[in-house]
Amino acid sequence: MTAVDNKTSSAPVKYSAQQRTRAERIKDHMRNEWRIYAMLLPTVVWLVVFLYKPMYGLQIAFKDYSIFRGVAASPWIGLEHFENLIGFDWSALGTADPFWTNGNQQFLRALRNTIYISMYSLLIGFPVPILLALMFNEVLNQSFKRTAQTIVYLPHFISSVIIAGIVITTFSPSVGIVNTILTWLGFEPIYFLTRPEWFRPIFIGTTIWQEAGFQSIVYLAAIAGVSPTLYESAVVDGASRWQMMWKITIPSILPTIIIMLIIRIGNMLEVSFEMIIVLYQPATYETADVVNTFIYRQGLQSGQYDFAAAAGLFNAIVAFVLVMSANAISKRYSRTSLW
Amino acid sequence: MSGVKLDSIVKAYGALQVVHGIDLNVNEKEFVVLVGPSGCGKSTTLRMIAGLEEISDGQLTIDGRVMNRVAPKDRDVAMVFQNYALYPHLNVADNIAFGLRIRKESAKTIDASIEEVGNILGLTEYMDRRPADLSGGQRQRVAMGRAIVRRPKVFLFDEPLSNLDAKLRTQMRAEIKRLHKRLGATSIYVTHDQVEAMTLADRIVVMNDGRIEQIGTPMELFLNPANAFVAGFLGAPPMNQITATIADGGNGPVAEFPGGSLALAPLPDLQNAVGKSVIVGIRPEYAQTVTEPGPGSVSCDLDLVETLGSEALLHMSLGNKPFVIRTETLGNIARLNSVNGFTADPELIKVFDADTGLALSGQTRAA
Amino acid sequence: MANMNLYSRGDKTFVIINMVLIGIFTLSTLYPFVYITAMSFSSGFAATAGKVVLTPVQATAEAYNYILSDRMFWVSYGNTFIYTIGGTLMSLAFLIPGAYALSRPQLYGRRFWNLIVAFTMWFNAGLIPFFLNMRDLGLLDSYFGIIIGFAVNGFNLILLRNFFEGVPSSFEEAARMDGANDFQVLWKVYVPLAKPAIATVALFCMVARWNGFFWAMVLLQDEDKIPLQVYLRHTIATLSDDPEFTATQLNASYSFETVSAAIIVCSIIPVLIIYPFIQKYFEKGILLGGVKE
Repeated sequence: MTAVDNKTSSAPVKYSAQQRTRAERIKDHMRNEWRIYAMLLPTVVWLVVFLYKPMYGLQIAFKDYSIFRGVAASPWIGLEHFENLIGFDWSALGTADPFWTNGNQQFLRALRNTIYISMYSLLIGFPVPILLALMFNEVLNQSFKRTAQTIVYLPHFISSVIIAGIVITTFSPSVGIVNTILTWLGFEPIYFLTRPEWFRPIFIGTTIWQEAGFQSIVYLAAIAGVSPTLYESAVVDGASRWQMMWKITIPSILPTIIIMLIIRIGNMLEVSFEMIIVLYQPATYETADVVNTFIYRQGLQSGQYDFAAAAGLFNAIVAFVLVMSANAISKRYSRTSLW
Repeated sequence: MSGVKLDSIVKAYGALQVVHGIDLNVNEKEFVVLVGPSGCGKSTTLRMIAGLEEISDGQLTIDGRVMNRVAPKDRDVAMVFQNYALYPHLNVADNIAFGLRIRKESAKTIDASIEEVGNILGLTEYMDRRPADLSGGQRQRVAMGRAIVRRPKVFLFDEPLSNLDAKLRTQMRAEIKRLHKRLGATSIYVTHDQVEAMTLADRIVVMNDGRIEQIGTPMELFLNPANAFVAGFLGAPPMNQITATIADGGNGPVAEFPGGSLALAPLPDLQNAVGKSVIVGIRPEYAQTVTEPGPGSVSCDLDLVETLGSEALLHMSLGNKPFVIRTETLGNIARLNSVNGFTADPELIKVFDADTGLALSGQTRAA
Repeated sequence: MANMNLYSRGDKTFVIINMVLIGIFTLSTLYPFVYITAMSFSSGFAATAGKVVLTPVQATAEAYNYILSDRMFWVSYGNTFIYTIGGTLMSLAFLIPGAYALSRPQLYGRRFWNLIVAFTMWFNAGLIPFFLNMRDLGLLDSYFGIIIGFAVNGFNLILLRNFFEGVPSSFEEAARMDGANDFQVLWKVYVPLAKPAIATVALFCMVARWNGFFWAMVLLQDEDKIPLQVYLRHTIATLSDDPEFTATQLNASYSFETVSAAIIVCSIIPVLIIYPFIQKYFEKGILLGGVKE
């Protein structure tokens, strides 16, 4: 047995990792692995230049910003923009003056609209893809299923301007098919896109129409992951398809549903304002103007950058709180965070 | 000089040490198998030799050169992975040539090498296929081809057969053995399968819990396990290990069981252990069946007979502990049901210290 | 479970009702596209009179004649191709190496780097600071600004990173032992292995670029640089105020509606052409799981 080597050649072991200093080890690491840092570098630089640098620029929300002075040199004015936005007079606290003022009615309206549109979109829009996936799952004819899926995924890939264009044409008072049908049925034509009460139903309906098919993919995949033996044993037990859907499919995809719900709540305030910009008009601002369209008009069209940046920051903070709470709930529920 | 030398090799992840200072000398052209239960550190050890894991402490030498801080590609070793790691987007020829192309060998050399390897492994017909279109055994061959094409000093195998079914495994085992005979390269092979270890190895290294339990040729380990762990790990079914007390039987030491006593080899260490409680190990193959237990045999109850064909396994119970006997069936089958005891050659009975599990010294037997 | 004959009566009814409902939903998705196409080939008179329902009325290609002879249509169409192809390539050039690096366990500060990416998905500075930053960088009114300014996207980066993480590490180890460095491991092993994931990400980038409208509208003043979507939005916004279009032209061969419809059709066609090729990718890509051997 030449098992254990006798240590005659026991020169001091200087190669062992444990005996090297931290600096030496980092040097070794960089010498061997510099390439992965080289690969990471462009992305990190991009993130800093295009996403983190604007965060530094966010300070204009607390400044009296002027283009000529630039971000850094503009004077600080504290929370004045926010006070003006939400109508809260900080300096009046502790004095006899009322500290709630009127605020910026346009902004408050936009905030309200954002919340209404997001809530309705969530309540109505969330169940549709689930329903659609469950229905697709019950289709037996594979070619019918493929064709239908191909079609309902399609609108997701179409630009919101185009979708808006289609909506404008479809709901147009003179030429639109909707009014054509209304006229046939003996009703007066309605100029939908100028009527505030119609804006939200049309907008929310359109986004559901556009995205529901695509969103159903996640649920279809979850359904595909259910073991076929569950269904087979249910068939042997005499279950109907309706029963199998309720007793097997839905409980099996419930975790997916909950995760998707949490993600949706987290992203709730991300209203697709691109489409609103094309669809809305002053007549419908009352119900259609959301925070981002407000920022677009105030900041990018009227040049009130500091004030608009404050509005954006306010919105981003609310969204951030939503995302973080959603993630916390998700952690609790699934023991894994979304990220 | 050549070969692979591990000197007090340690692997630690932070405060957690998983390999506790391993010393091993693999000679040139030798086939060494590291075997042990999962989590014993054998794969980690192999990966440290390959350079895929950093060596926390100790020194690794290949062909006389210290390799601790040398990149895997410069160690002149090749490895066959458990899942083969064949590139699915490349055909067999390109998979085999991958390493040569990376090393910018000439097209002529590459073509010649591929052809040679294809011949050696019988892959010539499959050169244009993608891994997905190959059978398990063929993929295994390609993985080996990718290793041998570079003619490395050392071959490393990380459980290469564990993804194959039993029949194919036997076949590939023989093929690896033949290949080693033909190429004569130093090989280190990791497996948890003791049959692979026994059949392939020039020397086996039994590992447990980050330490080497014993190193030796397959027959050395089988006949003279250094401790109860090695005794239990090698052999199928494993060695029976029963608690007994050593007594003086007049002519020499005997082991006393609940159902009788067996004579032990007359060794000084055993003689000195009289009165002590020990673990007695008897291989199922070396226990002889008895139908009328008397002096020199142990009586026990037969629970179950499993007939395997040429042999049968008798599951006995000895004072509520299981005891397995492996016996011939030919001309014997009729009496198996009436077996109610066993005896064994004193030379083939192993005695281990009940506390440390170490074999009491002096018990060596040549094959 | 495909044999209908084995089904009970209740099940058959259920399956059939379900099929009808799916059919209705599918048709309601399809119909607006059919309607717009019919509109684009109808005469302005028929369109204005609300006669178009399913097929072209007084079929004519005048609306197409109108836009195809408009120089701006061609310029913006070409621009959209530049932004789509350039932007997608630019994105991949950042995302592939970046995602690979983030997926490597040996990367020091891996948690930190991943957090830097994830944070941009939870919080962004908003429209105004982004715009001012682009202006300060001198990237207004520039092709390059549009192409580089939206190159990296946290979602795509993480999607690709997850895929790379799912590749068994033995692929990298085998390549390393064969002498490959990280660049070679990525280019010769991981990129071919990740083709479906990369195709998915490329698809997402392409669609986003093709459809991108808001920032192009905000960042580009120069008419010769605007993409198709902005041109379409201009058309919708301006044509409806144009006396030539608003005047009731009973015999008009084209109208505001038919012209918009024609632009819409032209803009959808490229999406429809590549759609069949990408469909197999996005379904799988959305749920990037483990790598298949």
